[in-house]
Amino acid sequence: MKRTTLAATSLLAAGAIFLAGCSTSAPNSVPAQGSDGSGTGTVNFLGPEDPATFAPVIKAFKAKNPDITINYSQIPFDQLNPTLQQRLGAKDETIDIYTVDQPRLSQLAAQGFLEDLSSLKDQTKAAVPDAQFSVNLYQDKLWALPVWNSTQLLFFNKTALDAAGVQYPSVDPSQRKTWEQIVSDAKAAQAAGTEFGLLLEQVEAYYQLQPLAESAGGGSGITGDDKLTVDVTNDGWKKAMKWYSDTFASGLSPRGVGGFQTSPLFTSGKVAYFVGGPWDVGNFSKTNINWGVAPMPYFEGGSKATPTGSWSWGINPASKNKAAAKKFLEFASLDPAGNLATTEASTIIPANSAATEQYLPKLEALGGDKAQGLAKLIAHENTETATPRPVTVGYIQFEEIMGKAFADIRNGSPVDERLKQAAQQITDALKQL
Amino acid sequence: MSIMNKTSTSKRRTLGYIGLSVLGACIGLLFLLPLWWTFVNSLRPGGDTFRFLNPLQWETFFTLTPSLDNYVELLSSDLGLATWNSIFVSTVTVIIGLAICSMAAFALAAIPFKGSGVVFIVVVVSFLIPFDAIAIPLADLFRDWNLQNTYTGLILPGLGNGMAIFLLRTFFLAIPKDLVEAGRLDGLGWWGIFRRIYLPLSVPSLIGAGLTLFLFQWQSYVWPLLNGTDAQHILGPIALSNLQGQFNVDYGVMFAGSIVLTVIPLAIIIGFQRYFIQSVTTTGLK
Amino acid sequence: MSTMAVAFAFLAPALISLVVLRIAPAAVALWESLFRESFLRGGTVFVGLENYADLFGNADFNNALLVTLVFSAIVNPLQIGVSFLLAVLYTRRAAGSKIWRSLVVLPIAVPPAVSAVVWSVIYRPDGLGNSFLAMLGLPEQSFLTSPQQSLASIMVLLSWIGVGYWMLFLIAGINDVPTELYEAASIDGASAWRKLWSVTFPLVRRPLAFVLVADTVSNFLIFAPVQILTKGGPSGSTNLLMYDIYTRAYTLGDLNKAQAEVIILVLLTLVVVAVQFRLLRSSDNA
Repeated sequence: MKRTTLAATSLLAAGAIFLAGCSTSAPNSVPAQGSDGSGTGTVNFLGPEDPATFAPVIKAFKAKNPDITINYSQIPFDQLNPTLQQRLGAKDETIDIYTVDQPRLSQLAAQGFLEDLSSLKDQTKAAVPDAQFSVNLYQDKLWALPVWNSTQLLFFNKTALDAAGVQYPSVDPSQRKTWEQIVSDAKAAQAAGTEFGLLLEQVEAYYQLQPLAESAGGGSGITGDDKLTVDVTNDGWKKAMKWYSDTFASGLSPRGVGGFQTSPLFTSGKVAYFVGGPWDVGNFSKTNINWGVAPMPYFEGGSKATPTGSWSWGINPASKNKAAAKKFLEFASLDPAGNLATTEASTIIPANSAATEQYLPKLEALGGDKAQGLAKLIAHENTETATPRPVTVGYIQFEEIMGKAFADIRNGSPVDERLKQAAQQITDALKQL
Repeated sequence: MSIMNKTSTSKRRTLGYIGLSVLGACIGLLFLLPLWWTFVNSLRPGGDTFRFLNPLQWETFFTLTPSLDNYVELLSSDLGLATWNSIFVSTVTVIIGLAICSMAAFALAAIPFKGSGVVFIVVVVSFLIPFDAIAIPLADLFRDWNLQNTYTGLILPGLGNGMAIFLLRTFFLAIPKDLVEAGRLDGLGWWGIFRRIYLPLSVPSLIGAGLTLFLFQWQSYVWPLLNGTDAQHILGPIALSNLQGQFNVDYGVMFAGSIVLTVIPLAIIIGFQRYFIQSVTTTGLK
Repeated sequence: MSTMAVAFAFLAPALISLVVLRIAPAAVALWESLFRESFLRGGTVFVGLENYADLFGNADFNNALLVTLVFSAIVNPLQIGVSFLLAVLYTRRAAGSKIWRSLVVLPIAVPPAVSAVVWSVIYRPDGLGNSFLAMLGLPEQSFLTSPQQSLASIMVLLSWIGVGYWMLFLIAGINDVPTELYEAASIDGASAWRKLWSVTFPLVRRPLAFVLVADTVSNFLIFAPVQILTKGGPSGSTNLLMYDIYTRAYTLGDLNKAQAEVIILVLLTLVVVAVQFRLLRSSDNA
């Protein structure tokens, strides 16, 4: 009995190890076998957006290039990164072109998941704002072309402000309010009956909170020549995070409301001041809220910083149809008409400067009277205050760990200790690299 | 004397009957509440989702102006196709999976062979292994075998389900061995015993195992993404997630999609309830 | 045909499927956990058990281990106890049992992403949970934003989802008990409570054992609610091992350590399950 059991077990184990060995010696060790292709045929495009968003640009491209067909598939946003990591790592040739979250670009480039596009460097530099150009560079090479941009705006509920007798903030960037002023106005609005005074749209995200630290003089949190040294325990960071923590502790801002449940709070009239993106212009216009828009505030005595950056598109080195994919990419990024088409079905700012000039007035018109002066404001922010996220191969680890720290600080964790803990965790994570 | 006893016991029994019915109803409704709220909100525009939360009002759970707008919007998404795909994949998995799992459970429970202990250990270990954790090496393997973007690739991992085998073995073990003896006397071989004795007596556990297999496939989310689902092979949970935009979510539409995806397993569960009746083991002995 | 060959014929499809699609990738995971990779310097390096040693020296991992053990110790008896009681309730003679128990089972059919969103609304500071409490005159709770309450909140959510599912198997088990035994006990003058303890409970041992093991394993692998609702917080109070593995693999990008963590999780589950089997077997013999 014992011998047969032993034999059975070893047979099973041997079988398993054999199969395991089979898959580990798989083509992962062979370098990417991509090729340029004929410049025609089907191009597979992968992204997290609803297909309706890209339908206009695909149609416009097809009109100019009838021999190339773009095939778009959608991956749910929260699964995009793991899916890309696995499929690009397995040299999946069914992906030709895919959307690249700009801050993750350096990691993807370092992993060999992006095709070198340095031949397009000069063209790109001329076509987009500086922040949008530099974010696609890693080790001095160009790895993706920017397609979308973003910024943040201060929305306010006019009814709430009226009830407190607070004057509306101006849309002119030269009359930008400070966070200190906004907090006191928000408290007045709360006293006059509005449930909450202030809310940030992506309330626990680094994208949203980086400018707070920058304005307070703390820098982006990543320093050093190799961009792998963390620095979130300096005075600027502590000041910004203490301010952030206080807004929740005092009840000015609600706890427990997740990232995408924030704008419904504003549209149901429960928040006086809301910091959100241009996409909210379209959303808010569809509701009954009497809203207005102003520049995003800054800390008194500090610099004026706004979040920026969005998506670029890049080419998979394992693709078998790179030439055709590049044509599509250049159309969607460097061609103003093409870039404009990518924003037709969505209220997000195009990256291409010429396209932006045409786009912003349309966005302003969408908001009607409420959005007067918006075009000038966004154009100003794009060139003057846009503060891009740091370019580092450790960005994902950094963002994730900081996100957890922000969540804890929001829920009441003591600021100094929590920042120290985050710094330690990030240092450990970056050491791996 | 005995008549009086009978009336007081029957009164107690009726009280007990009523009490248990009320308790059962309350608990059932309590469990339903969150889903009922979801259903009501699927009949309202997405912007109203968070309006009636606090304080509690009758509008939280009812709406005077139900509208099917959200469901109509689903028609223009790929949720319809995804639901059909999910039904197809899950059904095939259940049919084939039940067959092979019940056969394996039978071997473990009824056939005395050397090494059955080892095999049982393998079965148990296999369902200890978190599927999401091995999904990556598995996806690489399937890519080598060219199974990406195929129904086969989606179905295969769901067929061998350690928990289903474990479940069936548990219930098979309870079947009295004298029935096997009786079967042998009637001239049945192993296959006959399996088909004619074990299977008919195990309907509730087969349903349970079928449900397990079904749910594994119905809710699978990470695997189809890694295996590479193109628009043609998309599954329900993924289509549901795709409804969420990057910057905002229309909860009304998402809840409508959820109701659609929940209705099918619900129909199955309710439909098969009547098989969870008093066991037929006793009648078998007679 | 020899017994061994027959057994093999019955087992083959399921066993092959399990070995190839579960065990083999797990073996790959074990293998890869012995290496370390650095994509800046290129290449992988064999480091033996260093990944494991590093994990045990890491504060976050140790916290995750502790949280998982505490979670497991509380949620399993809770869910199994409740499932058993509900199974007993719904097998008594009462009105509409079949309907009410379908409602209790219903939550398992809901896509996990949707359950998470619905409960996030319940747990919001201005959500359904607090409005119910307000109606009852109880103070507001912080649920998911408090390190003390978050794990318990997740347990309630999971119980809402799973209790009906486990209850189904126990109902099947209870229905399997031959009616003669109840009749015999009645003749002996046993009360309903006594019947529960001396007739039902002992004969439901096997299905109960199945539910115990299967539920324990499922709870060790919990992941979706944490990913969607709490991301392991606040302050790591809901950082269950499976979520920690996911973070380590996909955000920290440390696949090899993540595989090591998977192996640790599997071994932990194996040990707990083995202990459960031992305990159940000895009580069987007793």
